[in-house]
Amino acid sequence: MSTVTLPVVEPGAPDLALTQRPPSLDDESRAWLDDLRTEGRTKDEAIARLHALLLRAARFEIARRRVTMPYLRGDELDDLAAEAADDAVVSVLRRLDDFRGLSRFSTWAYKFALLEAAVKLRKRAWQSREIPLEDETWNRLASARPGPDDQAEPGVLLDAVREGIANGLTPHQRRVLLALAVDGVPIDVLADRLGSTRGALYKTLHDARRKLRAHLAERGVALGQWLEES
Amino acid sequence: MERREPREMLRGLLGPAAPEVGCDTCFAELDRFVELELAGHDAEVALPGLRAHLDGCPACREEHESLLALAAERR
Repeated sequence: MSTVTLPVVEPGAPDLALTQRPPSLDDESRAWLDDLRTEGRTKDEAIARLHALLLRAARFEIARRRVTMPYLRGDELDDLAAEAADDAVVSVLRRLDDFRGLSRFSTWAYKFALLEAAVKLRKRAWQSREIPLEDETWNRLASARPGPDDQAEPGVLLDAVREGIANGLTPHQRRVLLALAVDGVPIDVLADRLGSTRGALYKTLHDARRKLRAHLAERGVALGQWLEES
Repeated sequence: MERREPREMLRGLLGPAAPEVGCDTCFAELDRFVELELAGHDAEVALPGLRAHLDGCPACREEHESLLALAAERR
């Protein structure tokens, strides 16, 4: 993933019980680290156990998402889970020193398998689909109308947002924002097509959203209760 | 192409109002965030900006939901 980070948020009131507790590894996590950092048969066996753990996590993710992908056959899903587990094992071993003991080792490792499986599923779902052209997306946004039960407020807001997108963003910001927020293109898929990364694209999305909000504020357009904003 | 209703589209266009971390920080801290949630702590206090990011990033939100469910199942 990329090293691009968004502006650091102001920390809230510190919870000393959470922030100052020294990391103390539980026995299971310590055993994982010891076995994976040794050499020889012990390490080989630990890697095999790690692969089994991450394969279960990858299958868990695929089982959660498969209802949205009924066209995928069982053997395709099995292959996808195996690939996700393989890639996750490599990631975990490469980043072993990043584990700080602030969670269980298994929870820390799971996230690599869930990420790999989720990204592969999203890319598989879009592998034969084109990213819509900006004109098509713009037409969809232009035709968006508030529902019959809504007040006038959403119409004003939609108009101001359309104006902000058209006049206040760079072409790259507009393309990324429309693809992600209007077309629902998964961020990993868009990153792949644009030769970028999830982190870099989210930074672009974040900047575009800030500009849009500033545009609305300058024009005195309230987001109001319609968007259920606090 | 799925059609998004205007409210959902606007939420996606405007994103969260609160300050947020990026995807990389979210991934780095997600395991800790989930375990704090499962332990009944206010994870947002310990990791400010992560909840807002989950509101604004569908991909990270999916992965958070999965990790929370998997970790809870295996506790």
